[in-house]
Amino acid sequence: MAESCGNPSSEQDALMLRRSKFDKSNICIKCKVNPGNVVIRHAVIASAECFFPLVSSKFRRALVPAINPGPIPDTPRKKKGSLKAAGNLCIGFSGGLGSSVLLDLVTESYFPSENGNTKGGSDHPRHHEKVWDHGTVCYVEICSALPGTRDRTEEVRALVSEYRHFEFLPLRIEDAFDEAWWAKVGGRGLESNMTVDLADEDLILSQSTTSDNSVAALHSYISSLPTQTAVPSAIQTLIRLLLLHTARSTGSSHLLLGTSLTSLSVSLISSISQGGGFVVREEAQEEWQPTVESKRTVRVNRPLRDIGMKECAMWAWWKGVHIPGKENYLGGKQGIGALTKNFIVGLERDYPSTVSTIARTCGKLAPKDSSDSSCILCGRPAQPGKPDLASPPPHLQNMTPQIPPVAPASQSSLTPRLCYACHTTLTSRSSRGSTASGNHINSTPLPVWVVSELDGVGHRKMGEKEMKESISEYLLE
Amino acid sequence: MSESNVSLKVEFSGGLELLFSNQRSHKVAVPGTVPTKYNDPSSPSKPADIAFLIHYLRDNLLKERVELFMENDTVRPGILVLVNDTDWELEGEGQYVLKEGDEIVFISTLHGG
Repeated sequence: MAESCGNPSSEQDALMLRRSKFDKSNICIKCKVNPGNVVIRHAVIASAECFFPLVSSKFRRALVPAINPGPIPDTPRKKKGSLKAAGNLCIGFSGGLGSSVLLDLVTESYFPSENGNTKGGSDHPRHHEKVWDHGTVCYVEICSALPGTRDRTEEVRALVSEYRHFEFLPLRIEDAFDEAWWAKVGGRGLESNMTVDLADEDLILSQSTTSDNSVAALHSYISSLPTQTAVPSAIQTLIRLLLLHTARSTGSSHLLLGTSLTSLSVSLISSISQGGGFVVREEAQEEWQPTVESKRTVRVNRPLRDIGMKECAMWAWWKGVHIPGKENYLGGKQGIGALTKNFIVGLERDYPSTVSTIARTCGKLAPKDSSDSSCILCGRPAQPGKPDLASPPPHLQNMTPQIPPVAPASQSSLTPRLCYACHTTLTSRSSRGSTASGNHINSTPLPVWVVSELDGVGHRKMGEKEMKESISEYLLE
Repeated sequence: MSESNVSLKVEFSGGLELLFSNQRSHKVAVPGTVPTKYNDPSSPSKPADIAFLIHYLRDNLLKERVELFMENDTVRPGILVLVNDTDWELEGEGQYVLKEGDEIVFISTLHGG
C-alpha cells in the first residue's frame, strides 16, 4: 500500500510513491493459478497461456456479429449457428503492428491449416463450413506520396506468402489517379479530365486539356493541400477508397482493417478535431455502398478495436509474427495526427483505461440527423443541409462585419458534393496561411472515382420524373 | 562501482533495432553496482537496475535519434519492456535489479495499425 509522501520542505527525498498500475495480486486473473506475464489495463494480468484465448475471444466478439448478411446485432451473438459471409474477404494490410496481428488472427481463426490441428474444440469456427471462400490481402504502397521513404512492397509480399490461404494484391497510392487501375476494378470509363481549384473555397471544377501521369497527379494533389495536417488525412482517404474499390472488385463482402484500440482512439480524436464528427461511428465500422444503384455492399470492420496496442505487441512477440513496418507520417511534429498520437500513447502508459473510454464513448455517439447523401471524395455519409461553408457560423455573425451573402455554389463547384471533413481538408488554412506549394493549385487533379461520379452527373440521361421536376416551375397547370 | 559485471542479453524489436546498428540481439555487461544518480559518480551506490540499463544503452549502443528511445529518463511511451518474458510492470519497472543472465526485451509498438 502506498505511503503518504513526506513534507518536502523538511525531507529532501520526500517523494510520493508511484501507485502500482494493478491493485491485485500478480496471479493470472483468468486461470487464477499461474503467475501473470503481462498487465493489460489495470487489473487484468494474463499468463502467456491465457493471453492468447483472451485476445482471440475479443477479436471474434468484435467480428462475428458482422459476418452474416443482414443487420448487425447490438448484442453479441448467443445463438450458435453457421457463419457464412455473403462474399469473399479482403484484408487491408499496412505493414504495421495491427494489420500484421490481424492477418495472423484471421488465419488462425478462419483459415485453418491442414495439419490436423484440432486445437479449439469442436465449436471452433475452423471445424465448420468456411466463412469466406477466398481471401485477399491488399497492400497500398505510399512511398510515392512521401518523398524519401522506401518501397516496402516486396517485404510485405514475402510476409503474406507465409499465409498461403491469401492472395496478395499490391496497389500503389498513385492508382487513385490512374485510369487503368479504375478500369481494372470495373470503374466506368472516364469521359473528361476534371480538375479543381483549391485556391477557391467553392472548389470550382473545370475541364483540363492536359493529363499528367498518375504519380505526377498524386504529387500535384498532395502539394496543393493547404496544411500539413491535411496531407495524412488525404492519404488516409485515398488508401481507404483504394481498398474499398479493390474489395468490391474481388467480390468481397468484408474489408478488415487492423486498427487497434489505441489507433482507433487516435483516429477518433484526430478525425473529430478535423470536422469528422458526423461520421464518428464509421471510424469503428461501416457499410459502404459503391453506388446508389448497387445492391452489394462492403462491410468495413476493425476487429482489433477492443485490443490495445500493447496486447497486439505481445501477441506479435510471443507468436513470432514478423512486422514489415510502415511509414508514420502524421503531418509533421505539430500536425494534429502527431500531437494526438503522442497524447493518446502517453495516456495509455499512465492511464490505460482512458484509451478504451475514448473509443467506448465515441461508440455511443450518433448524429442527430440521418444522412441523405454520401461524400463524393471519401464515400462516407455527408451531413444533410450543409450550411453555407463560406459564411461565419451563427454565433460569430454579430461579431464580424456584415459580409455580403455568398452566391450559392454552382453546379461546377465540388463543395456541395463534399462532407464537412473533406471540405475542411481541402480548404482549411492555418493561421500562418496556406502551406500549399504546388503550381497546380488552381487545377488540381482529382481521384478517379470523383471524376467518374462527376462524369456521371454531367452526362447521364435524366429520367422522365427528374426532367419534369427540373422544369416544374415553368409548367402551366 | 563494483568490479563484478552482470551479463545480460538485450533484444530490440518493432523497429527499435534500427536505432541500435540494425542489430536485434546484443550481449551486454553492466557493472553490478552503479551510482544512484547516473551522471553523478559521487552519489551513493545501488545495484544495477533497468533504469541504469536504459541510460547505459543510450550512451553505449544507441546510434541515432535518442528521442525515439528515451524520454524523461525512461523509455519513450509506446515502448514495452519485458524482463525474462514478463512485463516489467510486474517486476517493478525501472527498479528491477538486474541479475546474471537476464533477458531484457524492448519492443516498440509505434508501427501503428
